[in-house]
Amino acid sequence: MSEKSSELRIRSLEDTDLGGITALDEKIGGEYRPEVWERRIGYYLRRDPEASVVAEADGKVVGFMLGEVRSGEFGLEEPTGWIEVLGVDPDYRGRSVGRRLAEEMLEHLRARGATTVRTLVDEEMAGIAEFFERLGFEPVPMRSFAKRL
Amino acid sequence: MNMTKTHLPKRFHQAVLKWKDIFLPDYEFLLENWDKYFPKDPRFELCAFRELGMCNEIECGDLKGKPKFTRSGDMEATQSSHLLGAIKAQASTEFGSIQQHQLTLARAQEEEEQFWILRMMAEELRHGYQMLHLLMEDNWSAVSDQTGADMVEEILSMKTGSHILGAFNIDFDSFVDNVTFCAVIDRVGKYQLSMQRVSAYKPMAESMPQMLREEAFHLAAGVVPLRRWMEKAAQDSVYITTTAIQKTLNKWLPRGLEMFGDERGGGTNVRYGLKPMKNAEAQQQYYDEVGKVVHDLNIRYIRARLSGLNGTQAEALLGKILEERNSHQGVAWEDLVHLPHMEFFRRRGVPAFQLVGWDGEQFEDVESYLTHLAKHLPDAYRSGSDFKHFVELLTGVQSGELELGKAVRELPALRRVGGVCPCSRAVRWVAEESQLKGNGSDSIT
Repeated sequence: MSEKSSELRIRSLEDTDLGGITALDEKIGGEYRPEVWERRIGYYLRRDPEASVVAEADGKVVGFMLGEVRSGEFGLEEPTGWIEVLGVDPDYRGRSVGRRLAEEMLEHLRARGATTVRTLVDEEMAGIAEFFERLGFEPVPMRSFAKRL
Repeated sequence: MNMTKTHLPKRFHQAVLKWKDIFLPDYEFLLENWDKYFPKDPRFELCAFRELGMCNEIECGDLKGKPKFTRSGDMEATQSSHLLGAIKAQASTEFGSIQQHQLTLARAQEEEEQFWILRMMAEELRHGYQMLHLLMEDNWSAVSDQTGADMVEEILSMKTGSHILGAFNIDFDSFVDNVTFCAVIDRVGKYQLSMQRVSAYKPMAESMPQMLREEAFHLAAGVVPLRRWMEKAAQDSVYITTTAIQKTLNKWLPRGLEMFGDERGGGTNVRYGLKPMKNAEAQQQYYDEVGKVVHDLNIRYIRARLSGLNGTQAEALLGKILEERNSHQGVAWEDLVHLPHMEFFRRRGVPAFQLVGWDGEQFEDVESYLTHLAKHLPDAYRSGSDFKHFVELLTGVQSGELELGKAVRELPALRRVGGVCPCSRAVRWVAEESQLKGNGSDSIT
């Protein structure tokens, strides 16, 4: 285990992560989007702050995974865990940050009564798909529909 | 999550509903508009939740490893007395904050932020209800002469000025208070709830998880609007200034620090297994966390003011401004928000009624200290009775006419003229069962 990996701390999402997640998103995507994260983090804190998790190292946010348990999508009436956003600091990739975030989150989702955890990945994002496959996720027969407005 | 849901006996439940009608009049409006602002969220329900499957063994203190208590009567008298005090104080804060928020709730400029606060108020009502449930469910006769009904009556009769903790005895003057209070004072609540989550008294520990989940949003209901205001202030909005935010922070942070209790204390709670941290340790963690919020607010300001900077550049600029206390790239140290010194404007704890300035500087005489306070506190607050009371106590202590210990125990007795206080009309909160059955109504007589 590398030095950086050993310093990792996985914990529930908090309001004080707003600055860190905004900065990490900018580092990954190149765009500064504070309003987006204020809205999104506000949403997940309201829904269930323990279901979303953050990885911290050296006093800063180096990864995050946001999601929740919900039901009601067509044909998915049972409580289902949804992983909706994931970000890992490029400097910390290869150090199991994503896996540790996922393990913590799945434990919470299971405790919340979810029997299945789902996520949606664009076919062009092969790296993300591989990440979930390594965690034991499998493609399932579900059709995603979209309409441009 | 695996939780049980219970309600107070009918007459106590009715008493809380009556209290809600008076102090939280927008409750029904919140429920009517719930789906607009909180779609997919479970609808609010006034009840007590208890988490199942929590640790059965005492987690800290002298009795660590022993089974947790399920009845206060099984505890040592002093231990039970400490616990009862904590439950009452917690209940008082929950009901007290609603009374404060209601004063200025209608002044919000953004409907969304107003509904966040309103939801938070409803959840605080549930938290108060949860504490009343703890009082009613157990028998406290070994450590109190009051019946459960008397305790509920006492808590529901409290108003701004007679609550147990100082922060809940101060009127709000504007919506900046609503938001700053959520970010600063509710954060103390998060610490207290987190510590009580390991309580040796199992009903208390089991009450905390759901309250903590809800508290996380309460903090966001403060921090998110503050961040948006920092952006507006950076763009020279006519609606808000960083000076207004700074002064409001100066008003509340000292009261938040005092909510942890005297810096020298807390050891008894730790020994009894009621909390895992002493007062000073928890207080320092809290202060550092508020410092993190302030840092993020300043970054938000700088990025809004200088949109060409990236994150690293903004951090470097902030560091330089803070270090030199100077202006760089058009951003002045005074434009930003800063943490007041831990000993500034204190009326409880080690620095109580000492002449410690905002920056930690020591003043020699009361007059110059009051001039200093006037510069750092909001004008509306200075014109209120809480500040006048503080000034009177400070003057008394500093002149030697008032004993420090007596001043520390003083609460500002706000004068209410008619209005919302049911006590002024000799109304009782908790109705007798026979009266409820007799007229078939929910009136509290």
